[in-house]
Amino acid sequence: MERRFVLCSGCSPGGFALLPFLWLVNVVWFFQEAFLKPPFTEQLQIRKYVRWSAVGLLLWIAALTTWITVYQTFRPEWGAVGDYISFTIPLGIP
Amino acid sequence: MISSDSEEELYTERTALMSASSSTMPSYQERDGMPGAANVRTNRSFHVFQFIHGWLILSSLLLLFLFTYIYLGEVFKTYNVAMDYPTLILIIWNFGAVGMVCIHWKGPLQLQQAYLIMISALMALVFIKYLPEWSAWVILGAISIYDLIAVLCPKGPLRMLVETAQERNEPIFPALIYSSTMVWLVTMAKRSVDTEEPLNYTCNADNYPDVEIEANHHPTEGLENVADLPPTQIQGVRQSAAGGEELEEEKGVKLGLGDFIFYSVLVGKAAAGASGDWNTTLACFIAILIGLCLTLLLLAVFKKALPALPISITFGLVFYFSTDNLVRPFMDTLAFHQFYI
Repeated sequence: MERRFVLCSGCSPGGFALLPFLWLVNVVWFFQEAFLKPPFTEQLQIRKYVRWSAVGLLLWIAALTTWITVYQTFRPEWGAVGDYISFTIPLGIP
Repeated sequence: MISSDSEEELYTERTALMSASSSTMPSYQERDGMPGAANVRTNRSFHVFQFIHGWLILSSLLLLFLFTYIYLGEVFKTYNVAMDYPTLILIIWNFGAVGMVCIHWKGPLQLQQAYLIMISALMALVFIKYLPEWSAWVILGAISIYDLIAVLCPKGPLRMLVETAQERNEPIFPALIYSSTMVWLVTMAKRSVDTEEPLNYTCNADNYPDVEIEANHHPTEGLENVADLPPTQIQGVRQSAAGGEELEEEKGVKLGLGDFIFYSVLVGKAAAGASGDWNTTLACFIAILIGLCLTLLLLAVFKKALPALPISITFGLVFYFSTDNLVRPFMDTLAFHQFYI
């Protein structure tokens, strides 16, 4: 049980290294532990970590969605800068 | 290679070889009881294991980052989708970092399985794309023959490795084996046991990633290392009751990643190179599945290390060449003449 707690608490700061996926894994993996099981000693802390990971994840999803929409909509209009940050550039006329 | 071991044997140590030498060496000395000879042997083998471990990390880094980058580039070009560098770097960084953690350390079992499958598929894609046409087929055939010999002959290298690993109870490198169930292990005498969890989990009920199974690797160079290791092991593990914990047995199937890679190469080449389109691909796919089922059946009968490649690859090759050269022209002619059977 301590090991799970260590894992959960380790995932949370790990996600600050630009790793929202880690937070997603944290939330999904420990969701059952935190909210659906009968209470045990460290459940409150695991709940706290899962909640904060979920919050961080939602923030990241919002930021990414915004950026992707902005990029896809305005890329042609940005000219040279748009091409510079593009990995693949679609061919043809939109 | 498929193997099944008797249930009493598997008390494995967690990361004994991967942890620092200080914790490893005394444990070997304790167990062996012959400090002199054992020291020399374990010193050398320890360095070999360190080298292999480092190489494994390097190769999984390569697979997870570089090959994913190339693959994503190809996918986006094919679908004519714009992708910017920041998003791409974020995606690959996430995928790769979580993959490294999941494969080499701890993670949910399903995620680990998914990652292993993905890197096997990426590796197979590399083989398919960069090997010449006939080289791939010959390699497939040669590898399955080698697998057969190496695992079944009494002096075969893989078989000796499996048996040595079983004798020594060495842990296996997690990046080489795909395991289908979770094993909740209690190691003996080395660490205290978590007794707080109820120890009656069914196979997939718990996502604990502590699948420690025995060392089973072939210390050769190159990526053939992974390919040479196609062991599948069905292991019944019993945890010893140290200090009053309950006994638990889990049975799982463990398949080497080399198996995955070569199955994928076969199906991939069938899909890419065959003129029969979907018929050939499906035939190969089904052939491999049949071969795998037969192999598992044999494993249940024999209960020891078995090669997983030969049966499936033989079926796959037979089906591929026969479908491509016999069935497809037959179907085409039938369809051309509108003759329905």
